[in-house]
Amino acid sequence: MRDGYDLTTGPIPVGQFVNLVRNTLRHDKLFQNQVITGEITQWKRHSNGHTYFTLIDSDGQISAVIWQGRCAIDPLIEEGSVVVVIANLDLWAKAGKIQLVVNKIALVNKLGILEERKKQLITDLRNEGLLDRVRRQLPTIPKHIAIITGSGSAALADMNRLIENRWPGLRRTIIGVMVQGENAPSEIVRGLLAASKLSVPEVAARLDCPPVDLIIVGRGGGAPEDLWAFNLEPVVRAIVAAQVPVVSAVGHESDLLVSDLVADLRASTPSNAVELVVPDYDYHQMLNLSLFERLDDASKRIIIDWRNNLQLLQSRLLNAPLRGIYNANQYVSDLANRLSNIVAGRLAQERQQLQRFTTIIQLAAQKKLADETTRLAVLDTSLNSSNPRNVLHRGYSMITDKSGEVISKTGDLIEGQQIILALADGSAKATVDDIEKGDKNE
Amino acid sequence: MILKKVIKMSDEVSYSEAIQRLEEIVQSLERGGIPLDETLTLYEEGAKLLEFCQQELAAAEGKLNEMKLADIESKLAE
Repeated sequence: MRDGYDLTTGPIPVGQFVNLVRNTLRHDKLFQNQVITGEITQWKRHSNGHTYFTLIDSDGQISAVIWQGRCAIDPLIEEGSVVVVIANLDLWAKAGKIQLVVNKIALVNKLGILEERKKQLITDLRNEGLLDRVRRQLPTIPKHIAIITGSGSAALADMNRLIENRWPGLRRTIIGVMVQGENAPSEIVRGLLAASKLSVPEVAARLDCPPVDLIIVGRGGGAPEDLWAFNLEPVVRAIVAAQVPVVSAVGHESDLLVSDLVADLRASTPSNAVELVVPDYDYHQMLNLSLFERLDDASKRIIIDWRNNLQLLQSRLLNAPLRGIYNANQYVSDLANRLSNIVAGRLAQERQQLQRFTTIIQLAAQKKLADETTRLAVLDTSLNSSNPRNVLHRGYSMITDKSGEVISKTGDLIEGQQIILALADGSAKATVDDIEKGDKNE
Repeated sequence: MILKKVIKMSDEVSYSEAIQRLEEIVQSLERGGIPLDETLTLYEEGAKLLEFCQQELAAAEGKLNEMKLADIESKLAE
């Protein structure tokens, strides 16, 4: 069939013909894995995951598709981007449409685009006043450093080694993040957020450490695109928003990133960051020691001076010639005498006072005792005299009725009544024969 | 008068402030000509500042924690 159509077999159905064309295209090396450049128009990322666009220049255009997952698509690619694609030419038989199936796509002059965006970001930040904002002050002795960088990276190893040289055992938390690639910006932002949380005293206390008081964020050197996360707005804004000072430590000396412009301190490399923020332990110990020695020496010297002055004064006093009424010695001994007199006098006074108190207490006690004795004797006497039994001994007797009620008046008696006579040593029953009232009206 | 500037020991005092004040105290003692009681007061203040500085140096020592981002995030979320 390569020689055209054969009239004897009749016309070819169009579908067959289109597929014929398709096979021809797909087997021609000229149309497979071709590198093509052009501008993007009608860029559309479909919800089914595929991406459709048209590649165009002044002389022509062709449809193109990137099947989902076929290749990475730079987020910077957009309508109007100039790109290079590696693609196979294909023919979609159903629509009779020729299109490029893209295997790889890349921006032309990506760095140029990035640089443009970086410039724009810097302009925006400057207009917002973020480039010349007041920087947070770095602690002289950081008590807890958070380091946000690639875990297992050479930069981290360098930093750790340098820290141990300068301040062995300095407290630090290393937050391992991606520092390049698609996820780098968001991971660095999350790392900065985590470090900021650790700077809150309550949070740090919960994790049993002092709050983070310094953050180092960075990575070692690499190609400009590899460092690019540190030029992106989210990372830059997270640095500005951090609660504690942030040191930007990215790449080599010559790399200047937007993170460097907004950080509280720019370090030229990760190692440089350590040199700038981690003090030298030995230096500070020596400083403390020398201040202590100077403090001690100076104070001692002053005290010795004062003592020497006093001794001098004393000897001058002793050797001083007679002047006025007393000489110095007399004056001093007089003072001493007065002092001891005062002391002795006071002691004697105290002793006398004590003696007086003792006497008063003794007298009071004796008087009390005597009073009580007298009172007891009086009580005893009156008790004795009022006891009716004592009266009976003297020849009187007491009359009661049967119920024991004392009868003292004739009015209480009835003739023939039985009464009881109480005598000194017993009692006797009697009967009333006759009642003779006296003239006493009681 | 150097005594008038006594720093109140509180959380706000930084290590560098303490060192600066210590340097002042030491210098004025070294110059001399200070009454005895003021000397003792300054010495006491200096001793307290030195103790504070020593505590600051000791406070910087601690653990080295190395964690993956997700690990520290989940620890913070606890």
